[in-house]
Amino acid sequence: MSQPKEIFVRLDRCVGCHTCNIACTVEHSKSKNLFESISEHPTPKNRVYVEWVPTDHKVPVLCRHCEDAPCMHACISGAISRTEEGVVITNSDKCIGCWTCVMVCPYGVIGRHLETHKAYRCDRCPDLKTPACVDACPTQALVYRTVEAFSGDVRQDAARKMISEERR
Amino acid sequence: MVAKQTRYVIIGASAAGMAAAETIRKLDSKGSITALSKEQDMPYFRPMIPFMITGKKKFSEMMLIGQGPYQSANINVRLNSTVEAVHTTDQTISIKSGEELPYDKLLIATGSRPHIPPIAGIEAEGVFALRTLSDARAMALRAERTKHAVMLGGGLLNLKTAFALLERGLEVTLIIQSPEVLSQLMEPNDATLIRDALIRAGLRMITGCSASRILSDANGVNGVLLDDGREVVCQMVCIGKGVRPNVDFLGQSDIKVDQGVVADRFTACNTLNVFAAGDVAVTFDSTTGERIVTGLWTNAVEMGHCAGRNMAGQPTEYTGTLGILNATQVADVPFVSMGIVHTSGTDYETYVASAPKAYRKLVFTPDGAKLVGALFVGDISRAGLYRYLIREGRAVKGIKSFIIRRQLHYGHILKETI
Repeated sequence: MSQPKEIFVRLDRCVGCHTCNIACTVEHSKSKNLFESISEHPTPKNRVYVEWVPTDHKVPVLCRHCEDAPCMHACISGAISRTEEGVVITNSDKCIGCWTCVMVCPYGVIGRHLETHKAYRCDRCPDLKTPACVDACPTQALVYRTVEAFSGDVRQDAARKMISEERR
Repeated sequence: MVAKQTRYVIIGASAAGMAAAETIRKLDSKGSITALSKEQDMPYFRPMIPFMITGKKKFSEMMLIGQGPYQSANINVRLNSTVEAVHTTDQTISIKSGEELPYDKLLIATGSRPHIPPIAGIEAEGVFALRTLSDARAMALRAERTKHAVMLGGGLLNLKTAFALLERGLEVTLIIQSPEVLSQLMEPNDATLIRDALIRAGLRMITGCSASRILSDANGVNGVLLDDGREVVCQMVCIGKGVRPNVDFLGQSDIKVDQGVVADRFTACNTLNVFAAGDVAVTFDSTTGERIVTGLWTNAVEMGHCAGRNMAGQPTEYTGTLGILNATQVADVPFVSMGIVHTSGTDYETYVASAPKAYRKLVFTPDGAKLVGALFVGDISRAGLYRYLIREGRAVKGIKSFIIRRQLHYGHILKETI
């Protein structure tokens, strides 16, 4: 079985440009076009957050689609479920806007859409091969890989660093 | 040799029972799982029943099986099955129909029932305590010939019911003994924004009063007499005075009951192979360690999962819960209340900030080291981060100022951790 891909964040590469925000919002608009999306109703919503921590760290945060997703189990209307690909999704038709998911998400990445009275979050862009935020990131701070491939990259990176230190 | 199939029997097919069934099925594909419900309807999302009154949702849209995480097949749900007794020595239960059902592992997840205060005339037709879908159906029916409904009690259930009735075009009056609504979830000063929202939404409120008699004639309820002598004319009364664990059927058994069914840290009762979860179970508050009985869907599911693991032979410690853990929206005002939020007369370090459309209260231990409670009204975004900190009981030193100013985000927690 092929491993599902996930969105990984490489904190050392984020420069805080917020390009991911725009790409995410546009992808979650009806028109999928930046200029038209601005005037759409309901307002399309961004689902990836670039936080800032002093002294000067940028931290992109988005839904981790947790293995034991607290939001899914806490939902009082059965609106949250997991797809075959492992993506935790909120079914807007079933969401009653009670915000229990907002209360239990330990990452703080579930938003409240005030116009539609529905909760929203990263859906990993079901219509795209690569999620919009990952595709748009100019520094590859966001990557879309399997756990195996990503941890392989991390290992290789560490090994490379060790070798270059030794050569110095 | 073929291993014997385990017979799992679950009394109660709501949040805790069905969560347990789901977990058991994931861990044990062979055992038989029977969930007994005394209701006539297949399991449903109980918090959604006010939609039955408004008519906004059909029953099929409230059903639990097949929705969200409840996807497992091969869980046998038996309806109209009231359990009358548990015999722990021969490991059987008695069902009202006269049937004796054997079990290898038993879960008590019978939930709770509304507390009905002893008010004269309370048995009149048209007096409701909303708990089940049948109650909601009966209320919807009565609402058709009701002009004015009186709600006794200002808790969350009654507020939700009140809104459902307002939506149907009824006049609704809330009668509460405390000075403000939601007194279990916040202090009077915390509730101002919510009270304003309720009044804007058209709800009438009488505070500092209680009903001393419910008046009725041949058509059922026709009024409520208050303890200050006032009489309120109405055709429907809803009682929202909290819930009590359903433990009566355990009277003859040797299962330990103290308010609710007493469960240890592994959700097990004092007798072998019997477990308890949900509203019926006595559990403990993860911040104070106090023994509590909660009436929350979210808690019930969590404890049900834990019990399911323990029943399927995977010892799992229940980490407790917060006695207060509520999120909802009242009219156009959302709020979240978590952990310790009643601070008057205590020495908890408390920070309050009030703005025209938002209110917050953050409660730390008296030494200021840990967050123990949070209340947000109006703006509830990222509330889960605060819940995480309360629940983990982590020292908050480096991020305390962000917490107080309500600017906390995951980046802060991450930087604290690494």
